[in-house]
Amino acid sequence: MIRTEDIHKHFGALHVLRGITLEVTRGDVLVIIGPSGSGKSTFLRCINLLVRPDEGRVFIDGVQVNRADIRPEWVRQQVGMVFQSFNLFTHLTALENVALGPIRVKKAPRDEAETKARQLLARVGLAAKEQSYPAELSGGQQQRVAIARALAMDPKAMLFDEPTSALDPEYIREVLDVMANLAHEGMTMIVVTHEMGFASSVASRIVFMDGGIILEEGRPLDIFEHPKHERTRAFVSKILR
Amino acid sequence: MAVATEHVGRTRAPPIFSLSNAARIVEMVIGGLLLISIMSIVLKFDVRDPRLWAGYGPSFIRGFWGTLGYIALILPISVGVGFAAGWARVSGHRMLAWPAGAFVDFFRGVPPIVVILFAFLFGVDFIPLRVQLFLKDVFSTSSNSLPFTLAAFAVAFHSGAYQAEIFRAGFQSISRGQVEAAEALGMRHFQTMRSIILPQTVRLSLPPLGNEFAVLIKDTSLLGALGATELVGLSQEFTAQIPISGGQIVWAFAIWSSVALTYFVMTFLVTRLLRLIERRFRTPGLDVMSL
Repeated sequence: MIRTEDIHKHFGALHVLRGITLEVTRGDVLVIIGPSGSGKSTFLRCINLLVRPDEGRVFIDGVQVNRADIRPEWVRQQVGMVFQSFNLFTHLTALENVALGPIRVKKAPRDEAETKARQLLARVGLAAKEQSYPAELSGGQQQRVAIARALAMDPKAMLFDEPTSALDPEYIREVLDVMANLAHEGMTMIVVTHEMGFASSVASRIVFMDGGIILEEGRPLDIFEHPKHERTRAFVSKILR
Repeated sequence: MAVATEHVGRTRAPPIFSLSNAARIVEMVIGGLLLISIMSIVLKFDVRDPRLWAGYGPSFIRGFWGTLGYIALILPISVGVGFAAGWARVSGHRMLAWPAGAFVDFFRGVPPIVVILFAFLFGVDFIPLRVQLFLKDVFSTSSNSLPFTLAAFAVAFHSGAYQAEIFRAGFQSISRGQVEAAEALGMRHFQTMRSIILPQTVRLSLPPLGNEFAVLIKDTSLLGALGATELVGLSQEFTAQIPISGGQIVWAFAIWSSVALTYFVMTFLVTRLLRLIERRFRTPGLDVMSL
């Protein structure tokens, strides 16, 4: 489904990614953990080419996508993304936020796109909020709209970049529930998060990144209970505390 | 759900033209006229003197239409220039940003009357004949020759420099995150510009633009210094002839009060119109800069 081979990325003198090789099969939920600055967010952005890898190859459904002859816009339609800071469009209602992608990018008829947007908002529990503007919604509600917005493009997979880190504690649950439902429906997901409860109950695999490389990879139980690396152990014990 | 097609539940927008605003203007005009009459008693002259209005009336009307004409010419050009320059400054292309920055710095740093004089006196020399003919065809009338048109352009560019900064601030206040989110949906640069950045920029720019328009309307009076057909210039001309034509010097009071009142009503109308548009498109989270 998604495969990366030896991804490298430099920002100036900073060597942020030092060869990331990873494979995610259909229906997998991969959780990436690691200290800040370890390159997790950059790696996510390399998959949908918001950041272009300097070296290495990204495959989606067996097609290498970081090639000059493939438009990055096309790649981004295949993979949905949810951001730490929601990034809803301020001037549009919840419904318009969700319907905009299909209307503009897929040239879907407006009424069709809005009908679908309503269904998606209902699916994330926000049917009553379709006419609200982002500023009128709580953080948790905004993030759920953002998930619906990404789903509206019918993505083959979803990327989540610390989706609950900017949320007040009381709103974290509702966002994680939506994500867990999505996972149970079979969505392929790559999630950068520090929510260990979510990771251990929903993730099929966990990857520990540090210093731009994958230090350790395994099932939740392996990583949390029997980490092989000292650094993994130290990190896990810090966030489980 | 059958009715829930569009815009349901949005905050109710006020009508663009409301009765209360029209009433305000009528009040102010009546107040102004009242003031002129009272002052004419203090200054001991008859404000209804037919000699005054027979003489000044045609000048006033010609000047008023002239001023409206210049506003109609200058306002759209200034918005176009300002928007383009503001966009160029944030475009990220040095070949666009640098000239736009130089443009803004120049027109902001030189008194408008000086730029206008240069445009009026020497503008023609710098313009190729073909462009001259084109400008003559499009903008020039019998009472508005090419040098005046160029002077009007100078006013437009002066205001455009300030509007460029307004638009630049509007562009820059849109978060990088929203642009990234639009890209993540697969939108192209142009689509992101059209659907995400522009609508928000325009909304954020409306309040300071209203301010700038008021300045621009009054700045058209600078053209009067060159002898252009506009309100201040023609009023000046008439006032200067009062002693020769056997009128009273105190007429000047009535004349300049009429001029002041006219500019006041024009700026008031434009700023209120913009404020009403602003209210109509008010969006929660986007009204931070409201004046």
